[in-house]
Amino acid sequence: MAVFAKEWRGEFRTRYALNTLGLFAFTTLVVVSVSLGPLGVSLAQGTAVLPVLLWIILLFSAAAGLPRAFVHEEETQTATALRLAATPSALFCGKLLYGLTLTFALELLVTPVYVAMTSLTVKSPGLLAGVLAAGGFGLAAGSTLVAAIIAQARAKGTLFSVLAFPVLLPLLLIAVELTRGAVAGDAADVALLQLLLYDASVTVAGFMLFPVVWNP
Amino acid sequence: MVTGGIGWVVAVNLIIWTGLFLYLLRLGARLRDLEKKP
Amino acid sequence: MRKLLAWLLWLWLSAVIVGAFLYAPLAKGFIGQSSRILFFHVPMAWVSFVAFIAAGVWSLLFLRGRDPKHDRAAAVAVELGVLFGVLATVTGALWARVMWGAYWNWDPRQTSIVVALLFYGAYLALRSSLEDRDQRARLSAAYAVLGLVVAPFLFFIMPRIMFSLHPQSVINAQGKVEMESRMVQVLLGGSAGCTALFFWIHNLRCRVQALAERKSALYE
Repeated sequence: MAVFAKEWRGEFRTRYALNTLGLFAFTTLVVVSVSLGPLGVSLAQGTAVLPVLLWIILLFSAAAGLPRAFVHEEETQTATALRLAATPSALFCGKLLYGLTLTFALELLVTPVYVAMTSLTVKSPGLLAGVLAAGGFGLAAGSTLVAAIIAQARAKGTLFSVLAFPVLLPLLLIAVELTRGAVAGDAADVALLQLLLYDASVTVAGFMLFPVVWNP
Repeated sequence: MVTGGIGWVVAVNLIIWTGLFLYLLRLGARLRDLEKKP
Repeated sequence: MRKLLAWLLWLWLSAVIVGAFLYAPLAKGFIGQSSRILFFHVPMAWVSFVAFIAAGVWSLLFLRGRDPKHDRAAAVAVELGVLFGVLATVTGALWARVMWGAYWNWDPRQTSIVVALLFYGAYLALRSSLEDRDQRARLSAAYAVLGLVVAPFLFFIMPRIMFSLHPQSVINAQGKVEMESRMVQVLLGGSAGCTALFFWIHNLRCRVQALAERKSALYE
């Protein structure tokens, strides 16, 4: 928990991740809704394409904001102190919570605005909430682990996307399908369970692999 | 070029298998060379 | 002894090649002789996935024992996975062009192989960006294991999604077509042969790398 608090304190001082995330999300939001909003494209085309774009926005915003989770320590050389102070599990937990709050905040901000600006009618808002929760969790968990892996490498920005994309792909595909279902009015699907299973697997893998990644 | 005929199938296979064969020969040669020098 | 095994392997593969062209019958409903390419395409795709699993397993072994041999084995497996994966993709695309008129369809199998290649690419990119040998081994092993965890979702979830999104999509026929026994024989023979080939090349490359490393260490 202390790690989590520290993470947020550091973040508020620089507001780097929040700014990057927010700026990116907002810009893409505007572009999408202008070109694909009610005036830009027909309703049928819109409902087919818009769920995908929502997740693309979320994905790239996360890719803009989350990798920084570990880079800060490496750059300021506080990493060694951190290694002594906290157990790997606690550290990973803190970083994960940080990532989660960022992601959920992002989703809370983006989704309502997105739906409003594109005049998308979501017939199963409950399902949508579920997808966002489960999908967002997976995004954060996967990204946190990958961020840990690349923190010690050199070309961090591009490397993160390259490594994270294959890992997050199943998450994204399932999430998009479920979002489409939410728009169309489906009830909860077994796919949601698969999504949760994915979340669980990646999180467990994260906890188990993090000590390896963190300690030399 | 890419039709139902057998031509391209043969061509593709020729490329693949000769390539693999030559590659293996080169690997083997390199291995022998490395193992020789004391 | 090794020489004998090598010759056996080549004999086996030659038999498979001959069998693919002369022994096995043509699949029904396929255009002309194009189905013959499948006798090579399927084994290669299979080997590509074998490579994926093998790399994951070797990475796990490395993380347990920290034996550099396992790290090397994993890295070589990934490289070979790229080779076989590319070959499988190309042969598959060529065949798709003949059968369905388009090189690419995003049907489940094609997608799976692409994702596998993405993983391989990411793994190799990670390795090339890390210079310290222990660090490189450790981090790439971690990534490989992560890939192993995600793999079931990719290879089993993918088809489910594809089919529910596009129920009338192009279904690759070799999944459910009932095959004459000769075809099965050649296919299985090809798969066995290519798997053996994979491990053979893998073994050679590992030895070459180990020796080269030791040699360069001697001269430092």
